[in-house]
Amino acid sequence: MSTTTSGLGARPGLWVGLILGTCGLIFGLKASGAINDTTTLLLAIVPTALLFALFRSLANQRENRCGSTSQAGKRYIFGIMATSIAYVLGLGVAMWVFRNLDPSVELTWLLAMLPIAPILAMIFVMGRYIVEEQDEYLRHRAIMASLIGLGFVLAIGSFWGFLETFELVPHVPGWWAVPIWAMGMGLGQAWQSMRHKVGPVDEE
Amino acid sequence: MKNRLKVLRAERNWSQQALADELGVSRQSVNAIETGRYDPSLPLAFQIAEVFGMAIEEIFSRD
Repeated sequence: MSTTTSGLGARPGLWVGLILGTCGLIFGLKASGAINDTTTLLLAIVPTALLFALFRSLANQRENRCGSTSQAGKRYIFGIMATSIAYVLGLGVAMWVFRNLDPSVELTWLLAMLPIAPILAMIFVMGRYIVEEQDEYLRHRAIMASLIGLGFVLAIGSFWGFLETFELVPHVPGWWAVPIWAMGMGLGQAWQSMRHKVGPVDEE
Repeated sequence: MKNRLKVLRAERNWSQQALADELGVSRQSVNAIETGRYDPSLPLAFQIAEVFGMAIEEIFSRD
């Protein structure tokens, strides 16, 4: 059995670089006052679209390493892709309306739900993957990665929280918990991949 | 835990992927078990023994 590893589809690092690059460019243009809120929101479509390519290349890479992606793995990748894009769009729309249209309190509650709902869905997708994954080793890795992510949240949250209590650092919104958890999970998976490096598909 | 998975697989001229397909797991799993980085659960160990037509203790042993 062989799987194609060539082409842009098999290089997630390239897509991560492009996403960070475009986000940095948009942020720089916004910070310098070269573009307004509406243009920023429109330009945000570019990194959002690049997320599609990133998830596709991650799926390809997973297939190359594992031989094939399980049904649970496919549902997980699709779920994370859908919720990530919904989160970026929801956050963008909510922020733009909140800053530009002076919404009522009732509408503000609804706006706040736009990024919250995808985040809750993302947590559900992760939990469902752990329940549904039939490959016990991959399930073990996912659980370890999520525990590492949780460790990051608890450590950084406690560290920052006490510094904040003693008025040494500014307040940070609680929603940072999920991005820190996701970052910790990513680092956890990367760490496990480095430790458990597997050879190419054709290795006997 | 030690195991003879790599030797047994080589004797039968099976690739990691072929064994993974037979067990219904990923190639990563076979690699991790073979190299001793992951100890399989009892049901998976029984399944591996069944695929090779051997007893568990003939494949796995304590360090």
